[in-house]
Amino acid sequence: MSIVWLLRRLLTVLYTLLVVSIVVFGLTQLLPADAAVTLLGENATPEALAAVRLRLGLNDPAWLQYWHWLSGLLRGDFGTSMRTDQPVGPTMFIALSRSLLLGGLSIAVMLVIAIPLGMLAALRRGKAADIVSSLVSYLGVSLPEFVTATLLLIVVADHFQLLPATGYVAPSENLADSIRHLILPVVTVSLILVAHVSRMVRSETIDVLNSDYIRAARLKGLPPHTVLMRHVLRNALLPTITIVALDVGYLLGGIIVVEEIFAIPGIGRQLIVAITTRDLPSIQAGAMIMAGTYAIANTLADMAYAMIDKRIRYD
Amino acid sequence: MSPALEIRDYALDYVTQGGTQRVLQAIDLAIASGEVVGLVGESGSGKTSLAWAIMRYLPANAREAPAGRIRLGDTDLRAASAKALETIRGRRMSMVFQDPSTALNPTLTIGRQVTEVLVRHRGLSEREAWREAIQALEHVDLRQPEALMRRYPHQASGGEKQRIGIATAFACRPELIIFDEPTTALDVITGARILELFRRLREETGVAALYISHDLALVSRVADRVAILEKGAIVEEAPSATIFRHPLHDYTRRLVAAVPRPERRLVSDQVADDALLSATNIAVRYQRKRLFRPAPRPATANIAIDVRRGEILGIVGESGSGKSSIARALTGLADYTGRIALAGRRIDSADDMDRGYRRAVQIVFQHPDSSLNPRQTVADILARPLRLYGGDVSTIPALLEEVRLPAAYAKRYPHQLSGGEKQRVAIARAFAARPDLIICDEITAPLDVSVQASVVELLLRLRAANGTAYLFITHDLNLVQQVAHRIAVMRNGEIVDLLGIEDLRSGNMHPYTRELIAASPAPVG
Amino acid sequence: MTDTLRRLMRTPQGALGSVLLVALVLACVLGGAAAPYQPEAMDFAGRFAAPGVKHWFGADQLGRDVLSRLLVGARSTIPLAVAATFSGAAIGACIGTLSAYLGGWWDEAITRTIDAVMAVPHLLLALILVSTLGKGSLNAAFAISISVVPSMARVTRSVALAVRQQEYVKAAIARGESGSWIVLREMLPNVAAPVIIEATIRVAFAVMLFATLSFLGLGAQPPASEWGLMVSEARRFMHQAPWVIVAPSLAIAATAICFNLLGDGLRDALNPRDER
Repeated sequence: MSIVWLLRRLLTVLYTLLVVSIVVFGLTQLLPADAAVTLLGENATPEALAAVRLRLGLNDPAWLQYWHWLSGLLRGDFGTSMRTDQPVGPTMFIALSRSLLLGGLSIAVMLVIAIPLGMLAALRRGKAADIVSSLVSYLGVSLPEFVTATLLLIVVADHFQLLPATGYVAPSENLADSIRHLILPVVTVSLILVAHVSRMVRSETIDVLNSDYIRAARLKGLPPHTVLMRHVLRNALLPTITIVALDVGYLLGGIIVVEEIFAIPGIGRQLIVAITTRDLPSIQAGAMIMAGTYAIANTLADMAYAMIDKRIRYD
Repeated sequence: MSPALEIRDYALDYVTQGGTQRVLQAIDLAIASGEVVGLVGESGSGKTSLAWAIMRYLPANAREAPAGRIRLGDTDLRAASAKALETIRGRRMSMVFQDPSTALNPTLTIGRQVTEVLVRHRGLSEREAWREAIQALEHVDLRQPEALMRRYPHQASGGEKQRIGIATAFACRPELIIFDEPTTALDVITGARILELFRRLREETGVAALYISHDLALVSRVADRVAILEKGAIVEEAPSATIFRHPLHDYTRRLVAAVPRPERRLVSDQVADDALLSATNIAVRYQRKRLFRPAPRPATANIAIDVRRGEILGIVGESGSGKSSIARALTGLADYTGRIALAGRRIDSADDMDRGYRRAVQIVFQHPDSSLNPRQTVADILARPLRLYGGDVSTIPALLEEVRLPAAYAKRYPHQLSGGEKQRVAIARAFAARPDLIICDEITAPLDVSVQASVVELLLRLRAANGTAYLFITHDLNLVQQVAHRIAVMRNGEIVDLLGIEDLRSGNMHPYTRELIAASPAPVG
Repeated sequence: MTDTLRRLMRTPQGALGSVLLVALVLACVLGGAAAPYQPEAMDFAGRFAAPGVKHWFGADQLGRDVLSRLLVGARSTIPLAVAATFSGAAIGACIGTLSAYLGGWWDEAITRTIDAVMAVPHLLLALILVSTLGKGSLNAAFAISISVVPSMARVTRSVALAVRQQEYVKAAIARGESGSWIVLREMLPNVAAPVIIEATIRVAFAVMLFATLSFLGLGAQPPASEWGLMVSEARRFMHQAPWVIVAPSLAIAATAICFNLLGDGLRDALNPRDER
């Protein structure tokens, strides 16, 4: 893999983050609320308000405020939360680690289920297994996360009292408890992912099964399991990498809702709190971190893809 | 001794939404051990379906008539179980496919795909199989086989991949090999070399072979016997030496008549030395220079070409020779540097090509499926050039008649026409402008030989009526020798030879031209 | 047009999707008129009534008939989501086609910017927009419309690029046709079909996103009976009356399934090739 290729990918990531920063900053600047009033409350004196405005640099023109914020970001300073008066960065990154745990587990679960499911549906195309899995997929992509989460809560946590309804326990504290609390959220997030990815895997596998080289392999007299394992698998999984990378975007969106419902203190929850309390620095930081995670995930996927597909040139 | 392959009274149907379609009927065919039988048919004749039937790889909607028999040696293939077939395929019978690029798995090394047959059927260990595979590749004249084994398919050329396919098919010394149009996807010269390889291997091994093709001339050179397939039935079967000279069945006669023969000139007039279009110093460049990369090679070097009024100028060359690039430059579809002059007027770039130029220079493309807008009726398609160039929309029925299509076709959509009919509409569209020059960019390549003959006849008739000049781009040397006044030969973006018909007859030509002509010899008979 | 409809009904997905669509349209149009009860009518005696003859889907914490609220809620949930999707799709399609037609440097710049905007998850973008503009159905719809633009632009661009490679476009260029003619008369009719299919499927997504926003309190506001809002309000009473959650959930799912089916059915119906 050449340095030039890596550099170009890096430039793309940086450009992405730059655009996101402009979009996020631009949108939040449209907020009608006066940040100073939000901080000090409605009854603050005009002098106090003016002092705060000066301290926060709210009187500067928009582009200057943007520049201050951006240069802070580049130094690693994400600003101070208007709600808690704590530095935003550490809070956000700790929250991110919890979300990564949730997200990572969800992706792992999804891969273990969706790939075999999709391939099975393709191999048994038109038969019962395929139809059932298609129905499940259809349903899976038609249920928003909050619906799945709420229904799961009613049935599993409420009715059968099998698992705790909400809350988060760090794995380092108590592994078993941590897992028990994470099962429902992970199931909720993975359901939509499984539905989506298994459909894609199915359609990719069907394309591969209809290809000339699979026909040639069969006509060489290779037994079915050899054809499947040696010839089909690799070609069907390659596009899956790209799909999974794209789904990280869905995942991040779904995490916001799931963390809210299951009271998990991840970055999604932080964002909701920040948005409802109009905590600008937290909103901006959270959005940047999410976008950054997505961009990095896509780059990793590109690298994995390029390493496996021999046809791609790294120049 | 039982024949290598015997097919008796075999019939096959496909069940589709539109009803049951009979694809093969009453097929009787036998191939003796060591014999090569050619199977010739046009598209839709069922020849490929017969190959799948023999290999027992039919689609799910296929229905075989219960009576028919297919035997490989002493084995009844129809009665064979799936497991038995797995041991037969690749070992006792194998296949060489039409498109070598898609027949190899892009994510596995070439070596893997050759050794797996040896490991599977001859019980060799991986190491032994690797050694044998290298030998097999050497035997099909591939250079540096060890290095090639470690590479991936996309790193090999089309000719190399087809040799690999042949080596794999021969690897387990089968009783029968089916060749499905193995040279169609290859260049003329590469294809000729593959045929030589085939002949050599056949002499050495004495394998029985079924050689499927649409090209009667080619098959009659490689096969001992030829069977002609029309709409699912074998209409004639004869030794290849006689089938060309004395075709018995009507259909065979039509096929033989349609095959282009260079000695049969279809154009007999002379052309005055009156330059219609001349282009000098044309270099066509496809990619802009991007950052951090070297400038891309131009598709054509500095080319000079001229077309005389009313003449047919043929351009031949293999793929990548640049012949289509010239067509694109002359119609403003590609960036070029250099100068074009039409009847004296200078055109320096695509922007200079005004309506007058566009009217005078028209183009017909190669793929009938994509050259007509699928959402426009034939009438819409023909009306546009008429409106643009001052014709009359009411002449559409007359236009259709000129290209021998019924006037009712005006209301049809492209997907309701056959390939040949679509090409006729494309020709009508070009003629609607009453141009001085029509560029034909490999327009007969995707067509069956009989359809090709009728399209060529149409072009010549229209030329006789209108005095149009043609720039006829093709890779079919026999065809171009029949119709062109002059022939330009291209290789690697350059014109290496420019001949008149007298030069062809006298043998006064560039060695490359000679090589091209030798690679597609005139049919015997 | 009628030909397309006929082909749509021939596929199982198209037929089922159309039936569901008709049901949903009826619910939107008739709304409260078709409801057995007044949606606002509270009945403290009948609070948390289980589904039965009197209330087909049960009653909620204020004794309101769930079915009636569902029917009225259709009008709050579906039309805005559909409008948001199609307006976003129209804008996205223009951007995508333009980018494909321009090619070269412009195309790269536009594509990279679209990719960058897509790095922000749809829900997050909508959340930020709504928090900026203020809560409410209209703002939520606007936010969804904006979030649909980048993905539609990408899809349109790739379709337009494929169309641009076709030889009938080259034939038009060779004829000297103007850029606007080529884009409008040659490319657009062939680009429209896949884009419409994609947009139809996006409606499903928009309905879900709209419901999510309302669930989070940022979309439709009470006392509207938007379905996401209904789920959110009923969360407190999960133990006593689970049907108050299940009913709107099923309605949302049914709507999303309907548009997914329609999209799949249209895929076959709009393909100009004959069936084989």
